[in-house]
Amino acid sequence: MTVIRSHTVPATAPPPARSYHRTLSWIARFGTLAVLVLMVVGFSLASPDAFMSQRNLINVLNQGALLAIIAAGLTFVLVVGHFDLSFANVVSLSGILGVGLMQRSGWPIPAAIAATLILVCLIGLFNGFLVSYLRVSAIVATLATSTIVLGVNFWYSDGAPITAQAGVFTEIARGRILGIPTPIIIMVVILGLLWLLLNRTLTGHHTQAVGANPTASRLAGVRVGRVTVLAFVVGSLCAGIAGLLLAARIGSGQVTAGDGFLLSAFAAVFLGASVLRDGEFHILGTFVGVLIVTVMNNGLAILGAPSFVQYIFQGAILIAAVALSTTSRRILGMQRT
Amino acid sequence: MTTMTNHPAPLVQMRGMHKTYGAIQALRGVDIEFIPGEIHGLVGANGAGKSTLVRTLAGLEQPDGGTILIGGEPATIHDPGVAAELGFAFIHQELNLVSSFTGAQNIMLGNRAGAPTRLRRFTGVPPEARAVADRIGITFSLEQPVSTLTVHQQWLVSIARALVHDCRLLAMDEPTASLGAEEADKVLGVARDLAAQGVAVLLISHRLDEVTAACDRVTVFRDGAVSLAMGRDEISRHAIVEAIVGHNVVPGGRKNPVPPSHGAPVVLMARNIKRGRNLRNASFDLHQGELLGIAGLVGAGRTELARVVFGADRAEDGIMRLRGADYAPRSVHDAIASSIAYVPEERRAEALFLTMSVASNLHITTWHKLRAGKTPLTSVRKSRTAAQEMSKRLGIVLRGGGTEQPIGALSGGNQQKVVIGRWLAVNPDVLILDEPTRAVDIGARSDIYARIREIALQGTSVIVISSEFEELLECDRVIVLSSGTTVAELTGDKVTVNEMLRHCYA
Repeated sequence: MTVIRSHTVPATAPPPARSYHRTLSWIARFGTLAVLVLMVVGFSLASPDAFMSQRNLINVLNQGALLAIIAAGLTFVLVVGHFDLSFANVVSLSGILGVGLMQRSGWPIPAAIAATLILVCLIGLFNGFLVSYLRVSAIVATLATSTIVLGVNFWYSDGAPITAQAGVFTEIARGRILGIPTPIIIMVVILGLLWLLLNRTLTGHHTQAVGANPTASRLAGVRVGRVTVLAFVVGSLCAGIAGLLLAARIGSGQVTAGDGFLLSAFAAVFLGASVLRDGEFHILGTFVGVLIVTVMNNGLAILGAPSFVQYIFQGAILIAAVALSTTSRRILGMQRT
Repeated sequence: MTTMTNHPAPLVQMRGMHKTYGAIQALRGVDIEFIPGEIHGLVGANGAGKSTLVRTLAGLEQPDGGTILIGGEPATIHDPGVAAELGFAFIHQELNLVSSFTGAQNIMLGNRAGAPTRLRRFTGVPPEARAVADRIGITFSLEQPVSTLTVHQQWLVSIARALVHDCRLLAMDEPTASLGAEEADKVLGVARDLAAQGVAVLLISHRLDEVTAACDRVTVFRDGAVSLAMGRDEISRHAIVEAIVGHNVVPGGRKNPVPPSHGAPVVLMARNIKRGRNLRNASFDLHQGELLGIAGLVGAGRTELARVVFGADRAEDGIMRLRGADYAPRSVHDAIASSIAYVPEERRAEALFLTMSVASNLHITTWHKLRAGKTPLTSVRKSRTAAQEMSKRLGIVLRGGGTEQPIGALSGGNQQKVVIGRWLAVNPDVLILDEPTRAVDIGARSDIYARIREIALQGTSVIVISSEFEELLECDRVIVLSSGTTVAELTGDKVTVNEMLRHCYA
C-alpha cells in the first residue's frame, strides 16, 4: 500500500470513508463465501438433525461431485473467453453411448469408457475448431453442436433409457473407498488436476492470457487457436466423465440425463467468479459455487420445499451474489482505468 | 488562484476538490477554474489527478469533498446527464464513435433536441449536422461510415457531435496523441476557433509543444494537487516540465554522433516491403546492437512495417533477410522463433493482460523456462524470483504491491517496462518498440530510453518507432517513412528534428 504523506494533506481534507470502503471490499471478495456460510448456518438451525449430520454432508458432496466436474470443465471454456452450451447433451450422450456399447455391443467396460471419452473429446475439438478457426460465435457453434448431439442421442437410444447391468460399472459411482463415495474421490482428483493445469502449467497460463486479451496473447507468441481448442476439449471431456458417472449412478443412459446440469453448472461457475477474485473464473471459486447450489438444493429438499422452489432460489441467489459483488467492486472503483 | 481580474467571469470554479480511491488520494484539494474563451491546458504525469478532475466534471465520479460553482452558483453533477444539460462535452481518447454509422449519423447522436420519439432523418446530412461541420471546417464526406475516416477526421466528427447541441465547455483528452504534426495543428486550430466563439476548452495533453503553443492557461498536476498554474504570459516549457517531474530534466540533445554500432554487421535487411495502401515501398538495414529510429507521420506505414517484420501481417511484396538467410515469417510464432520481438503501440489493447498480475504479464513469453525441475508444472518460486530480477533490472517501481499485484495498478511507464521486460527475458536479436513512450509520463521517458540503450549495448538490435521526433535523437540512425515509402536515411549530424520533419513533409 502506498504511504500517504500526511503533511501534504491540507487540514481541511475530509476523512476518507475508511470503514465504508473496508466493508465494501470485504463484500467484493468474501460476499459469495459469506452467502455459503449463512446458508449452512441457516439450514443447520432450521433442521439441525437432518442437515448437519455427517451422513448428509457427505451426501451433499456426493450429489455435488458430478456438477463440480462439469462446472470445472466449463470454467476452462469461460476462462479462455468463450461459452459452451453443448455440455448438457454431451453428458447425456456419454451415458447413453457408454452403457450402449457395454450392453448392446458387448464391449468390455474399459473399452466402452475409452471410446466414449474419445468421442466427447472429438466433440470438444469440433467446437473449438468452429470457434477459433472458422470464427463462428461460440454460442451459435455450441448450440448447433448441442442440437446435433441431441439428435444422435435420440437416434442411438430410440428415446428410451438404456439400462446398465448392476456390477463393476455401476459400482464406479455407487461404491466407496475408505468409506468415501467414489464420485467424491474422482471429483477431488479431477478438480486438483484441473487446478494444476490452469494455474501451474504453460498451457494454463496461456489459457488465462487468451481470455484476458486475445490480441496481446497472439502478439506475445501464444498459439491462441490451439489454446482455445484445448479449453473446449477439457470442457467436453469433463462433461463426458460426469455423464458416465451419472449413468453408473442412476443405472442407465438417458436422453434427458444431462439437462438439469445446464443451468446449475453456469450458476455455479458465475457464482464462483465472484469468490475472492474480481469476476474472473477460477477452479476454486467454481467449487464454492457448486457447494452453494448443492447445499441450497439439499437444504430446501430437507425442509420439504417443492422442487420449483429450488429453481427460483437458484436464480435469485445467483443474481444476488453476482450483483452484490460487482456493485461493491464498481463503487470501490477497482475497475477504474 | 489567478490574479487576473480583467477576464470574463469563470464558467466553472472548482474549490478544494478531494477524491480518494481506497488508499490512493487522486485529488487533494484542487482549486481550478475554467473561463469562457480560453484554452486551458491540463498537464501532469499519469495518475497526477487531471483525468479524475475531468471525470468529476463529467459526472463520472463523485468528489469526496469540495464545491463546484457553475456560473457562480453551487452545483452538483450527479451523472453525465447533468453535465450534458450544463452544456459540458467530453471527448475521450477512445472517441466512442459508432464505427458503422456515417459521420452525419454520429454527429446527430449528440442532438437531444425534441422528444425522444420525434421522428428523425437518418440518411444524408441534416442541416444541423451541416451547420456544425461548416463551423469547424469539415470538408470530407459525412455520408461514409466513420470507420473509413482517418483518426484526425474522426476527432473532427467527435467535436462536431459535441457542438450539435449548445456547448459551453469542451474537454478533449489527448486529441493529438495519434495524429501527425499537421493534423494535430488542424485539431488545435478548431479548438482555438471554438475558444474564440466563447467556449471554455480543456486540453489534456502529454505534448508540451502544443500545450505551450495553443493554451491560454496551463495547470500542472502532481500527486493529486496543482503544482503550477500559469496564465498566458507566464507559460514556459521549462517551468511545466519542472512542475510535472518535480526536478529539472535536460531535454535530450544528441550525445553521441558516432554510434557504438558503427560498422557492425547487418542483422536484418528489408527491401521494398509492400502491404496494402499504407505500406508501399519500405526498406532498411538494421545493424547489430544498433538503435534505429523510424520517423514518420501517422499513416506513414511505420506500424504496418513493424507488423510485417514481426509476422503479424504478411508482406505482399519485397524481401527480408535475417542474419544472411531469407526471412519470411508466416506468423508471430515464426518471428519469435527467429528471435524477433515487438512491443506494440496500443499498450492496453495489444500488450497488457490488465486483469493479471505483473509476474504473469512478464512471463507470458517465458513460462516454458520457469518449470519446477523436470515436471511440466511451473514453479512459483522461480516465477517470483524471475519477476523480481526483471523488475530490478528495468527499474520497475512496484511500491508495496510486489510482482503479484495486478498490472493495472502500475503507472503507464512501469507497465511499458513490464512489456519490454517480457521480451528482454527471451533475449531477442531484434527488438521493435512501437511508440515506447505513448501515455508514459515525462519523468519516466528518459529512463525508458536509457534502458533501451542498455539493451542495445548488450547486442540486441533495436528499432524505435516514435511520433515524438525529439526522442529519436537518441537513435544511432533514423529512417524516415512517408506514405509507406522510405524517403530518407539520416546518420550522424543529420539526425535532427528539422531533418526528420523536412523529409516527412517533403
